[in-house]
Amino acid sequence: MKRLLTIVIWVAVALLGAGALCAIALNRGEPLNAMWFVLAAVCSYAVAYRVYSAFLAARLLVLDETRATPAERRDDGRDFVPTNKWVLFGHHFAAIAGPGPLVGPTLAAQFGYLPGTLWLIAGAALAGCVQDFIILFCSMRRDGKSLGEMAREEVSRRGGFLAQLAVLAIMVILLGVVALVIVNALKSSPWATFTLAMTIPIALLLGVYLRFVRPGRVLEASLIGVALILFVVVAGQWVAESPAWAKVFTLGGLSLASALIVYAFAASALPVWLLLAPRDYLSAFIKAGAVFCLAAGILLVRPHVLMPPLTRFVDGTGPVFAGKIFPFCFITIACGAISGFHSLISSGTTPKMILHESHARFIGYGAMLLESFVGVMAMVAACAMPPGVYFAINSPASIVGGTPEAAATTISSWGFPLAAGTMTDLAHKVGELTLLNRAGGAPSLAVGMAQIFSNTIGGDRLLSIWYHFAIMFEALFILTVLDAGTRVGRFMIQELGGRVWKPFGRTSWMPGILISSAIIVAMWGYFLYQGVVDPLGGINSLWPLFGISNQLLAAVALVVATTVLLKMGRLRWIWVTLVPTAWLVTVTMAASYQKIFDPNPRIGFLSLANAMAAQIAAGKIPAEKLVETQRIIFNQRLDAGVTAALALMVIVLIVEALVQWYSILSRRREPVLHESPYVATRWAPDFSGAAHGDD
Amino acid sequence: MRRVSKITSRFLRRFWRGLREWCGDSAYEHYLRSTSAKSSGSRPLTAEEFYVERLDRHYSRPNRCC
Repeated sequence: MKRLLTIVIWVAVALLGAGALCAIALNRGEPLNAMWFVLAAVCSYAVAYRVYSAFLAARLLVLDETRATPAERRDDGRDFVPTNKWVLFGHHFAAIAGPGPLVGPTLAAQFGYLPGTLWLIAGAALAGCVQDFIILFCSMRRDGKSLGEMAREEVSRRGGFLAQLAVLAIMVILLGVVALVIVNALKSSPWATFTLAMTIPIALLLGVYLRFVRPGRVLEASLIGVALILFVVVAGQWVAESPAWAKVFTLGGLSLASALIVYAFAASALPVWLLLAPRDYLSAFIKAGAVFCLAAGILLVRPHVLMPPLTRFVDGTGPVFAGKIFPFCFITIACGAISGFHSLISSGTTPKMILHESHARFIGYGAMLLESFVGVMAMVAACAMPPGVYFAINSPASIVGGTPEAAATTISSWGFPLAAGTMTDLAHKVGELTLLNRAGGAPSLAVGMAQIFSNTIGGDRLLSIWYHFAIMFEALFILTVLDAGTRVGRFMIQELGGRVWKPFGRTSWMPGILISSAIIVAMWGYFLYQGVVDPLGGINSLWPLFGISNQLLAAVALVVATTVLLKMGRLRWIWVTLVPTAWLVTVTMAASYQKIFDPNPRIGFLSLANAMAAQIAAGKIPAEKLVETQRIIFNQRLDAGVTAALALMVIVLIVEALVQWYSILSRRREPVLHESPYVATRWAPDFSGAAHGDD
Repeated sequence: MRRVSKITSRFLRRFWRGLREWCGDSAYEHYLRSTSAKSSGSRPLTAEEFYVERLDRHYSRPNRCC
C-alpha cells in the first residue's frame, strides 16, 4: 500500500513537472508567471534525483556502504575530516556556485527564456550532475586524487599533463572574464566602487581578528563583517551624493582593471589569513543569504516573465553576443548546466570529507541541481524586466548607440518597445549615472533582483539600495574567485616552473611567490585589458572563449570518467557519460570553429582581424587610432590561437583515451583500476543516502 | 506541546552544530579529537597555528568555482 502511494506521488510530481514544462514551452503571447519556471525546475530536479541519480548510484557506480571512505581511513583532522552530509553539501555548494550560473543565463536570455531554461534543466540533470557525481565518486575511491592525477593514472601520462595545462588555461581565461564582468558593473559607479573597495579593509580587519584576537572564530567574525558590509552598501549612497567623494570613486574601465590586477597580486602574495580567507568567509555568507533572498523574493512576488520564449536573435545577430542558438546558447550557459570547473572541486576537498559512500549521490548530484536552480532564478530575474530595458543594459554602444535616445530608437526598431526616458529614469532610481551599455550580465541581473526585492520590501524607495546590494553581492564573490583563483594559478605556475628549476617550486620562497604571482596576473590581466579596450564590449569575444574552455574541461572530465567506467566493466551503461561527452565535443568544436573561422567579423576572431587589417591597408583608419587598431588585430589573432590550442589539446586527450578504450574493449590489455584497496567500514552504514535505489 | 519544543530544540541544536562545522568554527575541536593531534609525538598545534596552517592548505588548490 505504502509502495503504491509512493508511486502515485512520484507520478503526480512527474506529471506536474511535465505540465509546467509544456506551459513554458508552448506559451505564446501572454506574459508567463515565474512560478511555472520554479515548478518545472523543481519537479524535474526531484524526478531526476529520485530516478536517475538512484540508478547511477545503484547500478552504474554501485556505491558500497560497507566500504570505508578516505575520511574514515585517514581522518587527520586537517584534510581528511569525516563530515555530516548536510554540512558537506553546504561546503560543496558554496565551492561550486560562483558568478557563472548568474551571468551565463542572463546573457543567454537574449535568445528568449526558453532555450536557456530547457538547457539549464536538462543539461544539469543529464550531464552536469552526472559529471560532478561520477568525478566525486572516482576521486573518493582514490583518496581524493585530483582530476589531473586521475587523468594521468587512468588515461595516460600525456593525458594527465594535458589536463593540467587545460586547467591552467581555463583558469587564466576565467579570471580575465570575471574581472571584466566586475569592471563593467563598477564603471562610472562611485556607489558600487566605494562599496566593493570597502570590503577590502573590512576583510583585513577580520583577518587580524581571526588570527590574533579570536583565532578560528569564523562565525562571529563573519557576522561582524556582514553587518559592516551592509552598512557600507548604505554608506555608498552618501559617497555617491557627495561631489568630492564621488569624484574619487568614479573610475573608468582601465583604472578599474589596473586596480583589480594590483589587488589580485597582493591577495595572492600576502599571507592567506590576512585578506583572502576572511573575504572568502564574507563572500560565502553573503552568497548563501542572497541566493536564499532571491528564491524567497521570486516565491513572494511571483513576477511575470516579459521576455518572449524565443527572440529574433536565435539567428545569430544578437546584440549581447553574436552567434546562433546552436552552439552558442550551450557555450554561454556553462555553469548551471555543466561546468568543467566543478570537476576540480569534486576531485578536491569534498571527496576527502565524505562520511559514507552513499553520501556522494546527495552531495555530487544534489549540489549541482541546486546550482542549476540558481541559474533558472537568474534567468527569471533577467526575463522579468521589460526586454527593451534588458537589451539597453546589455548591448554595447557600437551596436545600439551611446545615448539614451539612440538606444531607444534602435531597440524599439527590433520590436522591443523602449521609451527614451525609461533608461534615464531607471538609472536615477537605482542611483547610477547610466545603465546603458553595461554588458556582462551583472548590472542587468542586479536590476532584475532589485525589482523583485523592492516589490517584496521597500518599493521604489529602496530600489537603489537593493540594486547596490545585488551588485555588491555579485562583485564580492567574483572578487573571491579572482583572488582565490590567482593564488591557485600561482601554485600551478610554481609547480610547472619547479620542474625546470627546483627552487621556483618552493611555495614559501619569496622571489618565487612574487614572480609566479606576477606571471599569473599578467596572463589574465592581459585578457581583462583586451576586454576593456574591445570596441565590441569584450564580453562578446571573451565570454564564449570562457564557455568553450569550461566545456572543454568538462569533456576532459567526462572522458576520464568514461575510461574509469570502462575499466570497471560498465560497458552496458557507458552511454551515461558517453552521450554527454559526445554532445559537449560537438558543441565545443562547432563553437571553436565558428569563433575562429566564421566570416562574420562579430563571430570569427580571424575575420574581424582581417577586416581591420583591410581597413588599415585601405587607409580608412586615422593615424591616431592606428596603434590601437593594430593591438585589436593582435588580440583577435591571440584569441583565435588560444581557442585552437585548447581545442587541439582536448582532441589529443580524446585520441589518447580512444586508444585506451580500444585496448580495453579488444582485451589487448588487462584494465588496471587505480582505486585504493577495499577496507571495511567500522561505522554503522547509513542507508538513508540510498545507494541501494530503494529510498 | 512539550514534544514540539523538544523537537524544535533538537533541530536548533543540530542546526547550530552544522553551521559551526560548515563555516569552520569547530575545525580545531575536531583536530584535537583526531588521531593526528594525539599521535604525532610532539605537542598538538595551538588554535592559532592550526588556523593558519589549515588556511594555507585550503587555498593552495582549486576551492572556488566560477
